[in-house]
Amino acid sequence: MKRSVLAVSLAVLVVVTAMSLLLATRHPITNATETQSPLLGRLAPSLKGPELGGGSFSLARERGQIVVVNFWASWCGPCRVEAPELSTFAWHERHHRVQLVGVVFNDSLAAAMAFAQRYGSLYPSLVDPGGVFANRYGVTSPPTTFVIDRHGRVAATLIGPTSARQLEAVVARVRS
Amino acid sequence: MTLTWLGRGALYLCALGALAGVVDQGRALKRQRPGHALHFAVAALVGIVLATLVMQYALVTHNFSLAYVAENNATFTPLLYSITGMWSALEGSLLLWVLLQSALIVAVTWYYRRQRDDAIVQWASLVLFGVQAFFTLLMVGPADPFLRNAARVVQGAGPNALLQDNPLVAAHPPLLYAGFVGFSVPFAFALAMLITGRVHEHWPLEQRRWSVLAWGALSVGIVLGAWWSYQVLGWGGFWGWDPVENAALLPWLTATAYVHSVIVQDRRGLFRVWNLSLAVATFALTVLGTFFTRSGVLVSVHAFSSSTLGPLLIGFFLFVVALGAGLLAWRGDRLRAPVGVDHPLSREGLFVANNIIFVGFAIVVLLGTVFPLLYQAINGSQVTVGTPYFASIAAPLAVVLLALMAVAPLVSWRSADPAVLWGRLRTSAWVALGVVVVLLIAHVTRYPELVAVFLAVMAAGAALRTLRGVLVSARRRGSWRGALRAPSTGGMVVHVGVVVLALGIVTSTTYAKRHEVTLASGQVTVVDGQRVGFYGFTHVRSALLSATELKVRVDGRALLPAVTTYHGRNGQTVGTPAIDSTFLRDVYVTFDAVGGTGSASGAQIQSQLPAGSVVLGVTVEPLLAWLWIGGVMVGAGAALSFFRRRHVEEAP
Repeated sequence: MKRSVLAVSLAVLVVVTAMSLLLATRHPITNATETQSPLLGRLAPSLKGPELGGGSFSLARERGQIVVVNFWASWCGPCRVEAPELSTFAWHERHHRVQLVGVVFNDSLAAAMAFAQRYGSLYPSLVDPGGVFANRYGVTSPPTTFVIDRHGRVAATLIGPTSARQLEAVVARVRS
Repeated sequence: MTLTWLGRGALYLCALGALAGVVDQGRALKRQRPGHALHFAVAALVGIVLATLVMQYALVTHNFSLAYVAENNATFTPLLYSITGMWSALEGSLLLWVLLQSALIVAVTWYYRRQRDDAIVQWASLVLFGVQAFFTLLMVGPADPFLRNAARVVQGAGPNALLQDNPLVAAHPPLLYAGFVGFSVPFAFALAMLITGRVHEHWPLEQRRWSVLAWGALSVGIVLGAWWSYQVLGWGGFWGWDPVENAALLPWLTATAYVHSVIVQDRRGLFRVWNLSLAVATFALTVLGTFFTRSGVLVSVHAFSSSTLGPLLIGFFLFVVALGAGLLAWRGDRLRAPVGVDHPLSREGLFVANNIIFVGFAIVVLLGTVFPLLYQAINGSQVTVGTPYFASIAAPLAVVLLALMAVAPLVSWRSADPAVLWGRLRTSAWVALGVVVVLLIAHVTRYPELVAVFLAVMAAGAALRTLRGVLVSARRRGSWRGALRAPSTGGMVVHVGVVVLALGIVTSTTYAKRHEVTLASGQVTVVDGQRVGFYGFTHVRSALLSATELKVRVDGRALLPAVTTYHGRNGQTVGTPAIDSTFLRDVYVTFDAVGGTGSASGAQIQSQLPAGSVVLGVTVEPLLAWLWIGGVMVGAGAALSFFRRRHVEEAP
């Protein structure tokens, strides 16, 4: 009986530490809903323009790769949940001929820059003044994500915050 | 722009108040002189009240210059849901959380203002300020509720459709938070007692008062949550062992163990270290519960609240546990009571049984909640732990608890004489047996129900016997207020409430009957003795939603509010059930499908049925209303227990 509180406390501490480590390394389960959009199966509308922080992007140049287009905004709460997941996805898929590109939706440049920096985004984002791209893709509220196959056709539309796991599953399906 | 800075300024004031409180208490401890806890507590409260006012102003005036308002409010959101919008997402919930925490700290430091030179009060205030600082800094840093919205928002998104459908949204989350926040006080004092090594004074029982307050708020909050999901979610149940429900249940279980075992420490001086561990565990579990709710790592009906705060919250949880376990490991063995329980059949012996069951159940629930993540980490595949697992353990434990409630309040301390005990139990045992015989004659033959009824009647008998004793002695002294404040009054009222609640749960779940009926407009049918008639649709259109209501009558009474389906703003179709509730039974009606080929109602379409007819799900659940009545009694009992007088030995 002697010193039993000591032993029990330490045992509890070890178990709780292990559990906390397990919990701390889990990813949020965020499930975007795949929807039927009129764009499905059609050639993706053109995306071409300057990137946030310099450089330029053109969808046509990426033909032959799978392109994931994500519309986001700094003021959108679910986008904040999704941002680290998108970077994880971009990092996992960087050698697998998959390109992730963001499109800034209805936001000021400064706020969007701050957002990208804060979440250490590992993918480029197009600026979209006037909402031209958003109109072409029929996006009304961020986050909305499109997966475009190697032939430049829209293969999937996801509404709501997505996760690395979900995107990887969708991309694997589009690839096969 | 101004709102952002006003709000942030107020938050900085709150954070500064909390941090200065930590420093001030630290210095006071070092110099062994009284600190200024109350001043800093008030400063922090002023800060958070101002921040709350800024947020409420922005919500009520639909000021979309704040990103939070743009996301959780819309120009057409009604006033009530604008106000409650503050806790419909993470950042605002934290505001409410810190508001309650700050108010509690002011209450605690004011209550103990004359003991502010006592090291226990100083350590406890330091811990409380630390907790307050952590949650405030979450808002100053990663979860800023006053983030500016640069874009022009015309209408706003409005709260989640499920969160603007029922006024309970105004009561359920604040009560849960009050419960969660309340457990920080016993935690703080437990740490203070461990640090100072003074576990044998009046402080443990002093803490029971604060714990009972938090426990009552949490209990009522949980019952209201059950009521809400019963009214809104449309599956006829009230508890689904969802991870977030479990998150609220876990601290409730350890807190229930705590409020019982503290009594033993008061009366017999036992369980000192155990009580401190329970206080620490309860607070740690509230933090873990917050993590489950806010991290989004578990699939849950509360998924609207997921965020990126997960690692911070789990870090705080680990810190709390490490602090508590470290202190216990350091001095726990020296603080233990020198003696143990004399005899298993004694009041304290049965309290041990109570504690084993509540804590064991907490461990089982925690395991079931975390298991899917563990399984996935090892095997990589998904698994769900559902109701069968939890219910198969909850049911037998509930039976044992009812049995304990039937016996324990009547057993003497130290050791019980079986003959005396039987003398006290006899009446309620015969009454319980009589009730069971009557039920058998009335063809109630399911034995779980009969066992539950038998034990419940005995448990109620034990509680009522104790209450009668209180009333008798109050009449002798001529003081009715004394009866309300007697040591056992609150607890026994809670016991009666739990008995009522348990009977409601057992009967409504054992005898629930679900039917599906197809009705054309104007048709009436009899389901399980209830006349259910359908009288067509009404279409309702407002800026908020476009809805289809069904005109349904149960036993001639129109169901109000009606069975409804509506399209929320994000294209979600939400169906709301309608309930005809009496003391004897609830009739729970859902809109399952509509006949014909096309309909704007959003319900599932069955083309083989004639157009205009509907498929209704009708569930008849006997005695369900008593669940809510029991909940009210539990809350009332907890309130009485808060004002309870200390037990003093009466002169014979």
